[in-house]
Order: sequence, then C-alpha cells, then structure tokens
Amino acid sequence: MEVNRRGLLAAGGSAAALLAASREAGAQTRAETLRYVTGNVINTLDPTVPGATRESFGLSMNVYDRLAAFGRRQFEGNWVFDHNSIRGELAERIERSPDGLRFTFVLREGATWHDGTPVTAEDVKWSLDRTVSARSLAPPQMQLGSITRPEQFRILGPRAVEMLLDKPDRLALSNTCVPYAIMVNSTLAKRHATADDPWALNWMRDNAAAGGAYIVETHRPGQQTVLRRNDAWKGGPLPQFRRIIIQTVPEPATRASLVERGDADLCIDLSPSDVQALSQRGRVKVVSIPQTNGFTHISMNNRMAPFDDLRVRQAIAAALPYQDLFQAALFGRGRALFGAGWSGSPPSSDFPQPMPLRQDLDGARELLRQSGHPNGFSTTFTIGVGISPWAEPMAALVREALGRIGIQVEIRKLPDAQFNTAQAERTLPFYTEGGTAWLPATYYFFRLYFTRPQRWNFASFDNAEMNALVEQAQFETDPAAYERQAKRMIEILNEQVPLLLMWQPLHEAVMAQNMDGYTYQFYRQADFRDLRRV
Amino acid sequence: MSEARAQGPLRRAARRVGIRLLSALPALFGVLVFTFILMRVLPGDPAVFFAAGAAGGQAEIEMVRQQMGLDRPLPEQLLRYLWDVARGELGMSMTTGQPVRTDLLERLPASLELTFAALLLALGLALPLGVLAALRPGSPVDHLVRFLCTLGVCVPTFVSGLLLVYVFYYLLAWAPDPTGRLDVFAATPPGITGFLLVDFALVRDWEGWRAAAAQIVLPASTMALFVLAPLARMTRASMLAVLGSEFIRTARSLGLSGRRVVLVYALRNALIPVLTISGIVFSTMLGANVLVEKVFSWPGVASYALDALLASDYAPVQGFVLLMAAIFVAVNLLVDLLYGVADPRASVA
Repeated sequence: MEVNRRGLLAAGGSAAALLAASREAGAQTRAETLRYVTGNVINTLDPTVPGATRESFGLSMNVYDRLAAFGRRQFEGNWVFDHNSIRGELAERIERSPDGLRFTFVLREGATWHDGTPVTAEDVKWSLDRTVSARSLAPPQMQLGSITRPEQFRILGPRAVEMLLDKPDRLALSNTCVPYAIMVNSTLAKRHATADDPWALNWMRDNAAAGGAYIVETHRPGQQTVLRRNDAWKGGPLPQFRRIIIQTVPEPATRASLVERGDADLCIDLSPSDVQALSQRGRVKVVSIPQTNGFTHISMNNRMAPFDDLRVRQAIAAALPYQDLFQAALFGRGRALFGAGWSGSPPSSDFPQPMPLRQDLDGARELLRQSGHPNGFSTTFTIGVGISPWAEPMAALVREALGRIGIQVEIRKLPDAQFNTAQAERTLPFYTEGGTAWLPATYYFFRLYFTRPQRWNFASFDNAEMNALVEQAQFETDPAAYERQAKRMIEILNEQVPLLLMWQPLHEAVMAQNMDGYTYQFYRQADFRDLRRV
Repeated sequence: MSEARAQGPLRRAARRVGIRLLSALPALFGVLVFTFILMRVLPGDPAVFFAAGAAGGQAEIEMVRQQMGLDRPLPEQLLRYLWDVARGELGMSMTTGQPVRTDLLERLPASLELTFAALLLALGLALPLGVLAALRPGSPVDHLVRFLCTLGVCVPTFVSGLLLVYVFYYLLAWAPDPTGRLDVFAATPPGITGFLLVDFALVRDWEGWRAAAAQIVLPASTMALFVLAPLARMTRASMLAVLGSEFIRTARSLGLSGRRVVLVYALRNALIPVLTISGIVFSTMLGANVLVEKVFSWPGVASYALDALLASDYAPVQGFVLLMAAIFVAVNLLVDLLYGVADPRASVA
C-alpha cells in the first residue's frame, strides 16, 4: 500500500515536470506554429480509403509526396494552382517520350522516408501498383488517365521508374499529382499488410508510411492532428512552419472569433456573412479566389418528363433571373458563369466559362407553349441541408421566377446523405449543387459531368455526339484538333442546356494579417507548404 | 455474529442491484434492435454519402457498402451486429475512421465531466434559490427566482453559449478560446480516468488543472442555466409541500431553531423529488447537450452521434443509443440508491 502510494506520487511528480517542460517549449514555437481550424474532420491518414474526407486529402498532400505536382500561377493578385505546369516532387526529373506513351521518373537523390530509410525504385513501383490494384478510391481515378494495370510501371534502375501507356492520354501525368497517387514507404507498409489486406489499407488509415514535408506527430480523429516539419524533406523548398495544429471546431462563429482574436492562424470554411463582417473590421487578412475548377449549377433530369423536352429546359433557362440569384445566394461574391455575349461558338476552349444565359420571360412563355405546357406544370426543386445557407435563398427566387411562367415549384430540403442517395439514384427532377474537378481540362469536365450513367452526370445527360467527342479528345495529340473538339462540347452544352451553369463560388481563406503565400489548390484545401509568416 | 448482521442488508442490497441490472437487459436488447432497424429504415444511404471521390461511380459505392457490411441481407447484418455487441465490439465509424468503441470510450469522459460539472453548478444554484423562494412565496425573491428560471429555459443553449463566448472570450478575453477541453498548446495529462480535472489532480499538476477548469466553466455554465429551471422549481414546490406538513409544525412548536427545521427536517424530506428530477436531468443533458458541445468544440458523445446521424453512419448512432440506454439504467439505479440515503424508509425495489 505504502509503496504503491509513493510510486504514484513519484510518477505524478515527474509527469508534472515533463508537462511544465513541454509547455515552455510550446510557448517558444508559437510563431513557428500554424494553427488551422476547420469544421470538418480528418477521418483517415490514407486518402485512398473509401469514405476519406476532403480534409484527409488536404492532410495527405502535406504528409505524403507524389511523383509530380502542379505548379502555381498568379490569378487576379492571388496564387492558384496551375495544372498546365507540372514539376517533379519525389521525382527530380520527368521525361516524356515524343509519342506520349512513356514517362520516365528519375527519383531525387538522397530522398528518404520519415523513418530515415532511403526511397527506392521498388517503393515507387509498389506505391504505383497500389494505386491501380488496391480496393480503394484510387483505381477509378487512375482509370480516368488510362492507368489501369501494374504492368504499366517498370523499374529501370535504382532511381528510375517508367510508366507506359497504351494510348497518349492527355491526363496520365496529371493523375500522378492527385491526392490518391501517394508514394508509400513500402517496406514499412508491407510489414503491416495481411493476406486479406495486401496493400495495408487498414493500417495506413491510422498510420502514415510517408516521406512528405510534414510528419504526423499525433492524430486524434475528429478532434485534432499535429504535424511536425520533416527537415530532411527534398521534394521542394523547406516550408517555414515547423509545427501545424489542425483542429476541428464545429461552430463557424467560434472559428471566426478564433481567427479574429489571433488564436488561430487560418480558416477556409467560414460562413459568407462572417467573412464579410471580418473583412470589414479589417483585423484579419481575407484571400478570396474564384474556384477556377468548380461550378455551381441548376440541373434538370434529362431522362425525366417534362425535362426530357429540350424546349422545357430552354424555357427554364430563359425564365431565371441570373443576376438576382447570384446576389441572393452569394452576395455576388464569385465569378458569374451566365450572361456571356457569344452565340454559336465560344470564344475559347476553356471550361467552365460564362455561357450566354439571360432572362427572357416572353421567350420562356413561348417555349413552354410550344412544348405543350401552356399553363406550366408542377415540379420539386431539391436542395441539400449542407448547402442550404446559399441554396435556400436561391430556391425561393427560383420558385418565384418560375411561378411567373406558370411552373409551380415546391422546395424540398433533404439531409445530405438523403440528398446524395437520391442524386445517385437519379430520382431528383430539378435541383442545385456544385461540382469541382481535380483536373480542370475541358474534356475531363465533360467526361465527368456530362457523360455515362454515373453519379456525377448531374443531369443524366446522354448525347451521342458528346460521348464520341469526349472519347476522341482524351487521346487527341493535335492541339488544334483538341481545341475544336473542346469548343464543340461547350456548344453542345449551350444548345442542349442539360443543366444551367450559374457561377464559380469564391474560395475564401481567412488568416492572420502576417500570413502570406496562400494558394488555391485543386482539392480546395490549404497546402501548408505554401504558407509563411512575413 | 455481528459481522454477519452487518453483511446481511448489504448482501440483500447487492442482490437487488443485480436483479435490477438483469431486468434491464431485455429493455437494452429492445433498444438495440429498434435502433438497428430504425437506422436502416431512415432514407439516406451511407455508402453513397461516403463514396464521394471525384471518379466515384457505382463501383465505389459498392465498395463502401461492402466495407460497411451493408451488402448482406438485413437479418444477417442484425445477427452479426448482435454477435459483435456481445463481444464488446460496436463496429466501425466511417465519420472518424475509428472503432466506435474507441471513440465512445474517448469521448464519454468528456461528456460526463461536462455534465457533472454542469449538474453540480446547477444544483449549487437551484437548491438555495428554490429554498429561498419556498420560504417567502410571492415575495420579490420568489419572483426573481422565477424570472431567472424562465430566462434560463427560454434562451436556447446555443444562443446563451455563443453569447457567453462573445462576451467572455471575444470581448473581455477572460475565458480561454472555446475549443475543447484543453488549450491546444497545453500538454495533456496522462490518461488515467479520462476526466481531465481528476487526472490533473492525481498528478498534482495544478497549472494544468486550472487550464482544464477554465475551459469547462463556460460550457458548464451554459448547460447549468438551461437546467436551472426544473431543479429550482422542483425544489421550491417540494419544499412548499414539506414546510406545510404536520411534522414541521410540530418541530416549530417544539421550539427548534428555524435553520435546523429548514435544513435538516424540511430539506432532507424535500430532496426525494429533486433527486428524481436530477437523475432525469442528468441523463437528458448527457444526450441533449449536443449544441453546447458544438459551440464549445467539446469532444463529447452527443456531437459525435449527431455528426454520424447526419451522415447516416449507422454504427456510431447505434453505439451511442445503446450507451445512453445503459447510462439511463445506471443513473436510475443510482438515484434509487440515493433515495435510501435521503429517506431510510425507501429501499431499492
């Protein structure tokens, strides 16, 4: 009894001393620490695990390296990612054969994993095999870049690996930059692989086998994750912050107060009204960047009456008050994708770009009459709870505007899981949502959002010419021909109006005044490697 | 001989507790099956919700469905779940990527600590207020107490919570930032009980203890305000009834001091309904303090269950409901045992 109590006291004393010491260390490094608050959770350290959250994708970009990475460019005074400039990350050099069928990756000399062991070509081969073989989110993504089998990856030497393609896919290399294409310390991961789980998906959910810029120090899912800088990192310039604290703070108002009081350094998911108030008070820095790879849309189910009739879709397109919708939903904070002046052929092959959509009530009534609905019809407009802050005012305006041409709209609000289920089952007649493509190439947008009977084909669009164009463009090596194909896709969208492009919302990052270098990334999360205090 | 006499009542009490616990098992089983079926009847497919990858097609949805075991027939799912529960496993959470049991074990102490703190605070306020109001019914004191209680009930917890954060953190900076149980830059104590205040006290880290206490003050006050009304009103009503009874009149006529009459004879007899309501308030708070947990980023079980519910994530919701049912049984039992302390005539039935 006596011994026990004394032992406990002694243990307590030394624990207290340790605590005091670590508290001191904590105070010293506050300036070198970035505290990032978010309303979401990191639910896995391995971004390829089914169910991984966007926050997990963001984390993996900082913790893992990929073979290649997108560069960044200035856009209206801010940094945004640039998918047209690809540089090596774990690879020091990337060589593309003239026919576009072979990529050679030469690994960085002296690159190591977090445990200090050297990165080998075998590790890279195993990691690439994992992206096409594991039962994870990675294979469907890699398929979009014609990367499908382990035989496509070959070890050329101790520091060189090659990737072979059957066809010159435009986005094969881009797919090595996405969050799923992580490079894994295969020796470590294989130690935790089992017969049922040869790619160590279960173990890597809670443990990192990585070599990226940051090392996971502690990870408490749903609460907080702490990262420490990997000083031996070779994949790029050494980031400035030594320590990153990622904390889940569910209440947006609390997050806003934390950043404004200077207790947190960065937040990217505040409510639009909070962002406005904060930028007016001017105690924080607000970086607002249009989400160049995203779009908000109003979709009509093209396989369901009455939206299977082109004239009905055109009538709705002509009935909506676009500018008012934009104001009501987002206070006009974003880039409009309506009201363009062109007709026939678009001025460029970029996408998303503004479409010639404008309100014309008389035209709408006439189209509705031609379609055999002179007195209109009734339908439901569905929104998800998660997007209701902006979608609810928008829905009210849609109802009012369509009421004027005789269409009765009932607004239905569904919890997100229900909304997604109904969307995937294609039972929603008329709804709004947003989409973001990781790889913002025009054909990729159309392939993802306008072809095939799959979930992201928001309007259940099925157009023979579009399907053929998308197939062709994927492997088109002649830039002029690709340009023609891409423009034609945009024309079809304009002619057939399967859905209505509305706008690109702003990505709004609120941060401490002294922060610099924030970059809008295609996965819409903060890349801590870009950030520094000045 | 004397030892046997001492053990007799104890053993009887223990047997009664055992019987009570056993008789709760069918109810728990019912709750288990009911929640299981309810979750699956609700619209919303968790597989679709979680298969949100950019290239996510039907294949990905099927993959998640298989991972969650939802591809099997419903009776088989139920049997598997019951077998898991019997072994102490509650399934995996898709929302956090962790086993539900781990999550609940980590989060339950946070919720319990907050609820205990709030309940203590509420009782500490409600008992004197209720007694004062009962001693002078109709007086300004009574009206003031009624006003306070009405205010506490009327203002929703997230409003009072946000208000407290705004005043004490944002404007005055008296409170630490309202993000969880401990400052992010502070070190956590060794996990002995999971209750931070207890753990810090055990290792005699008083600086840490103060930090943890500072974090809990605002959320506990928010919750205490909300439950002040039932506790204070019940104390008042019960005290009024007892003060009007014959034994109090007798005590007074015998010339006992007013203090002794009120605190010893009246209050002790008035406590039984207050205990009952405290038990109910405690169980309710534990599950219903989700808004407080959200506002203060408190890593508790209620916000965990809500997040899971919004995502149609079955396992955490089922685990949470089961846990709450078990806690409800335990709290009721505890309250019954406390009756015996407050009134020796009452016994555990």
